Amino acid sequence: MHLLIVEDDRVIADHIVSGLNRIGHSTTLARTGAEAIKACADRSHHAVILDRMLPDIDGMAVIDHVRASGDAVPVLMLSALGSVKNRIEGLRRGADDYLAKPFSIDELAARLDAIARRSPARPGKARIEIGLLQLDASSHRATYRGRTAVLNRKQYSLLAHLMGHADTIVTRAMLLEAVWSLSVSTTTTNIVESNMSRLRTALQDLGCDPIETQRGSGYVLRSDRCG
Amino acid sequence: MRLIRRMAARRARPGRLAIQVGLAFALAMITIGIVGFGVADHWVSSRIDRSLTYHANKYVSKVEGDPAAEAHLRSAILEWQRRKVLSERTYVVFDRDGRRIAGRLDIRPPKPGFSYVRFTAGGRHVEEGRALATRVPGGGLFVVVQYSEAVEGLHEILPMAVLAICLVALLLGMSATFLFARLTAERLAETQNIAAAIAAGDLSRRIATDRLDGMFAVQADSLNQMLDHMEELVRSQQLFSSNLAHDLRTPLMRLRSLLERASRDDRSAFEPMLERAERECASIIAIFDALLRLAEIETGRHPTAMRPISLRPLLEDIAETMEPVITDHGGTLAIRQLDDVTVTGDVDLINQLLINLLENVATHTPRGTRVTLALERNERGAMITLNDDGPGLSTGEFARVTRPFERGSAVSARTGSGLGLAIASAIARFHHGHLELLDAAPGLEVRISIPANDGVDLPAQDARQAS
Repeated sequence: MHLLIVEDDRVIADHIVSGLNRIGHSTTLARTGAEAIKACADRSHHAVILDRMLPDIDGMAVIDHVRASGDAVPVLMLSALGSVKNRIEGLRRGADDYLAKPFSIDELAARLDAIARRSPARPGKARIEIGLLQLDASSHRATYRGRTAVLNRKQYSLLAHLMGHADTIVTRAMLLEAVWSLSVSTTTTNIVESNMSRLRTALQDLGCDPIETQRGSGYVLRSDRCG
Repeated sequence: MRLIRRMAARRARPGRLAIQVGLAFALAMITIGIVGFGVADHWVSSRIDRSLTYHANKYVSKVEGDPAAEAHLRSAILEWQRRKVLSERTYVVFDRDGRRIAGRLDIRPPKPGFSYVRFTAGGRHVEEGRALATRVPGGGLFVVVQYSEAVEGLHEILPMAVLAICLVALLLGMSATFLFARLTAERLAETQNIAAAIAAGDLSRRIATDRLDGMFAVQADSLNQMLDHMEELVRSQQLFSSNLAHDLRTPLMRLRSLLERASRDDRSAFEPMLERAERECASIIAIFDALLRLAEIETGRHPTAMRPISLRPLLEDIAETMEPVITDHGGTLAIRQLDDVTVTGDVDLINQLLINLLENVATHTPRGTRVTLALERNERGAMITLNDDGPGLSTGEFARVTRPFERGSAVSARTGSGLGLAIASAIARFHHGHLELLDAAPGLEVRISIPANDGVDLPAQDARQAS
């Protein structure tokens, strides 16, 4: 992917640029809001990583500007303001995701993947299908080759989220946010791991466990394993 | 510092208040003067009228039914004139044609009954008198006129009297107010000095109440109480800060040790060390995030969507989420009872509250601990109970552990942010409820009460029968 990074702090900017380059993304760096708006004009980027606090204008104003010009490029907002309030405000103003500093490059990359791909299969649809694995929203049933497993609400949401982001890494923090509305830093136990292991046991009983644990606290649902 | 200077500069001055009170006092005195004059005037007038009636009757009754009444009255008056040398009262008799036939007062015949008549008494000065005219048999008119010096005098002195009263009242009123204000200011001066000292940072100062009385003593007492409360708040804030510093120092120290070791050791040991360093970073971040969250909830800045929440499905979800977690920690989670209760609240916050509590149990109790979760509807609302048969806390620790950075004595200082229970407690208060810790003997019972919002007003008795 070609990414625009808007960050004024040199150390953090270098960290993000080198980290994303290492995993194969090309990047453009802007250090101010004005540079960011100029760089956005040619619409060559697949996603924008936007720091909220910039030396000239607020990151929010940059989003407003970009959206006002009709550009729907996915925006991931970075901020040292990590409160629930700031996060909700950021998402409301048009950011596609909001990541509080400090964060790891793996987390950033996974979230960029998620917002850039914008998988058409969104949780909330009546029926999600990946290969032969089907998930029914109303009954919370997972079906594979004629076998059925009834999932509880949270297991259902977990699987729905993974199926909605098939073949991309979904981090523990993303799952905590999406399924439990919890922040990773305020939980002290392995909520995701424990529930994931129950879900995978249920899927193994069906004969199809397409979920893979990725080193670095993430999961991937492999669509080719649902055949 | 500017605040102190401003406070010192603003000396207590009687100012507008004294003038206002003085004016109000003067107005009241004027009103009283006018009313008093009116009453006196009325009293004197009625006395004159009574006297006129009496004297008229004295003469007229003698000539009742007498055809020669006019002549008789004339001679009686002439006789009276001869005898009387000095009188404030005089008599005039008119015949049926309105001609004066007796009496020296040069007036025109007034209408029968009481009236005022004007006359010149010798000189050119016009006087006014009160007259009572009575028809006598034969068509004549008998008039008694009384000239009252007192009433005249009263009318003359009225404007002066009112003015004098007004001025004296204004003077008295204002001096009284100035005096009162001065005395008040003297009593308040001490309070002001204390306030300035407190503004300068000395929270230990209190207003001495031994020389104050009445409302000043009451006010000083309530101010002192407020200061006690403030001092306690500041002290707990200081404790909070020093606890925070302590809790941050520990992971930072560990981080520094790791970095130092990494700089000495060979590169092969880097990987595990870096992982540990990252964990230390994570725990510092966790403390900050939890602090932020606590502050958001306590100051009401949490962007909340308060709406009716059915607690039963929420608790079912939480139990389903936490059951595998507790099982993985070697314990068990069971649901004892789940009533249907609706409360008004923020679903994310209540979710976090219960997750926090269950995580606490999972991390702070030994393997084999049994946890029970219950949701009951009682007369006050929803009561969520969380029981465990772990080692529990000593009763003395109950109040302490809900404060930030305070942990149970058995808990190692390193686990968690030390803010879990403080956040849970703040969330309960945010929902107008409260969190209570009880001795479950053995183990700990956490009880959260939140007022219900399901329109069902459950009487106390029914609640007991239901349970």
